[in-house]
Amino acid sequence: MREKLQRGRGKEVEEMAVDLASVIQIWLAALFTIWAYSFAFRDNAFFKFAEHTFVGAAAGHNIVYAVDNVRRYGWDPLSKGATLYAVIFLLGLVLYTRYHKKYFWLSRFPLAIMVGIGVGLSLRAIVTAEFIAQIQSTAGMKVVGVDSFTAFNNLLFIVIVLAVVYYFVFTFPVLHGGSRGAISTFARWAMMAAFGYSFANALLSRITMIFGRLDYVMNTWLPLPGAILALPLALILLIYSMIPAKKRPWPK
Amino acid sequence: MSLFVRRQLPIAIVSITAILVMADYFFRIAATGPIVRDLQNWGIILSAFALGFGAVNLFIVHTRHISKQTSNQWPYSIWLLFMVALFAGVGVFIGPTSTQYMWIYNASYFALSATLYSSTGFYIASGCYRALRARNVQSVILLVVGGIALLRNAPMLAAGYPILIDIDGWVNSVPTTSAQRGIMIGAALGAIALGVRTMIGRETGFLGRRTEAER
Amino acid sequence: MSSLWKKLEDVPREVLYGLFLLAFIIPMLSPFGLPIPISADVRKWFATIDALPAGSTIMIDMGYSAGGEPELGPYAVAVTHHIFKKGKLKSIYMATSIDGVQLWETLMAEVKPEQYGAKYGTDYVHLGYMAGTETAMAKVGTGPMPSTDYKGNSIAQMPVMEGIKDATSFKLLICYTTGGDQSEGWVRQWVTPYKTPYLSCVLALMIPTMLPYYRAGQIVSLVSGATAGQYELLNKIPARGIKSADVISICHILIFAFVVLGNIAYYARKASEGSRKGG
Repeated sequence: MREKLQRGRGKEVEEMAVDLASVIQIWLAALFTIWAYSFAFRDNAFFKFAEHTFVGAAAGHNIVYAVDNVRRYGWDPLSKGATLYAVIFLLGLVLYTRYHKKYFWLSRFPLAIMVGIGVGLSLRAIVTAEFIAQIQSTAGMKVVGVDSFTAFNNLLFIVIVLAVVYYFVFTFPVLHGGSRGAISTFARWAMMAAFGYSFANALLSRITMIFGRLDYVMNTWLPLPGAILALPLALILLIYSMIPAKKRPWPK
Repeated sequence: MSLFVRRQLPIAIVSITAILVMADYFFRIAATGPIVRDLQNWGIILSAFALGFGAVNLFIVHTRHISKQTSNQWPYSIWLLFMVALFAGVGVFIGPTSTQYMWIYNASYFALSATLYSSTGFYIASGCYRALRARNVQSVILLVVGGIALLRNAPMLAAGYPILIDIDGWVNSVPTTSAQRGIMIGAALGAIALGVRTMIGRETGFLGRRTEAER
Repeated sequence: MSSLWKKLEDVPREVLYGLFLLAFIIPMLSPFGLPIPISADVRKWFATIDALPAGSTIMIDMGYSAGGEPELGPYAVAVTHHIFKKGKLKSIYMATSIDGVQLWETLMAEVKPEQYGAKYGTDYVHLGYMAGTETAMAKVGTGPMPSTDYKGNSIAQMPVMEGIKDATSFKLLICYTTGGDQSEGWVRQWVTPYKTPYLSCVLALMIPTMLPYYRAGQIVSLVSGATAGQYELLNKIPARGIKSADVISICHILIFAFVVLGNIAYYARKASEGSRKGG
């Protein structure tokens, strides 16, 4: 079923209480967007500035939520009498001995707890979710008692699953030699089909994301006073900064 | 003794913790329930502590740049550390959902994150023209399937040519799902093997660099 | 002749980027109003939420990062409109992504739940970001729930948390995510042990890796954020998703043309070089 929605042209007219803080925020976000995209053309000083801004902001954001989680899940129970949490606090700090030349091995203990929990959580569910359930689903595909197209599809499905699993058995090299190599070749073809599908979807993802940013620049920033003049200026400065330092008059 | 404490004990902790977590799930032993719930809480706290590693590494690297005045880098390093301090300071002392924090978040981090994440789209577009070549059977299959999916993903074409939806549906449900399922089963086997090897101490990557005694 | 094909084959990337940008800008300046078909998966997602009985509680994971917001944000907005518009549903949000709380604030500012009479603490609550991904999912699954919301306020007396103790208290699980850890983690930690119905919205590029779970019946409906326009059509609340449809169409046609042209130039050059050597 297909439905059609006719959309009129032009921008939405939106009532917005635009204060100075919001205006500055929009300007900064739009300029950062333009500077970040400029790397696709050439590395330049504005991109480096944007890149370092992002890395610093991301690290700071991580610290904020590290403190938040330690406070909510560690400090609060500890302050309510769960004294064992003092040990976990200590272990959390001991993680940072990793940077010490002599006592780095102390960090192995809290790491061991984290790794143990991770291994336990994933092992207990992987067997059911990614092994048994997948095999059950494959084994349950009917090749008799259904129409010929469905039977063909199901048979092809089962053959591809088996071939791909066979392809990834590297323990016995003899499995891939001689005429048995045809199974691996067939598996590679099937995987190429999957990767082709993935490639198209990856492109769809990126296009949607780029649209989101360009929509912001065009429909949120450009309508602001001065932005329409600032855009060509920003682009000229960007192009100038892309000139190699030796070839431009200033700065060297 | 030293080698036991520094090497064998952490491996033993991994095994015991993993076994407890799995035993609680598979055998529903009453005694393990509260222990595992506490362990999960501890896991969250330790993961939260681990979030600071990025900032520490950045601090080490960029203070080195600043002290050595690495040309064309040190001013950016100062700015980077300033941003770390700004976000951490505002977020921790004023609040991560405060107006001030949301302002700096939306003005910088959000815009840059979204932009950098999407910028690979340009490289994909350029790569499609300059690099994607139908040179052999495998690349032909990739291009044909990719081309069908590309056309189907254009809503206008999918609406105008419904056969694209049917073909894409077949590609989606037969070769793609089956190949991915095969990959998933293989990866699951590998993950199980890796988990068991970690528990028995054959996989020791998480221990990090070796002490003198271990060398 | 072969030099012409060589020039065509070696078009500078700046030209390609420029054409790519034009494919965005032209439909944005002048929307064509191109049609959008609605997929069966999006309809299934919509129907699943519509079929929820009154009083049901939904666990919603804001598992996407700021980088994925342009794709997943519009879909999350459309679904949130649907949930609040339907009414009599309780939504408990959590974040396995470190950006989840900030993105949730942005989401709520766009949706304005008060227009549907929804109140924080009564109809919805946010439990905050929890580090550890699968550890956090397992903790919330086994219970007890965190004792505070994302601002540190106690949730014990909030009506929305009444009767909520573990995964079995939820009728539906929704996850918007940019990470395989989250989308697959929920299958391992909630769907497998508790059989919670699971709706997954991921980046389009993650769809192929999630398909095996979907076809095995572990996920009720699997969509990408790029289908937001379709959900908005079903919801009858047009927003950012529909705006992108024209751009997506034109860009895809351009990329298809790139692939075809690039290969034509390659093979034509090889053929003309081959005939030059032979002749």
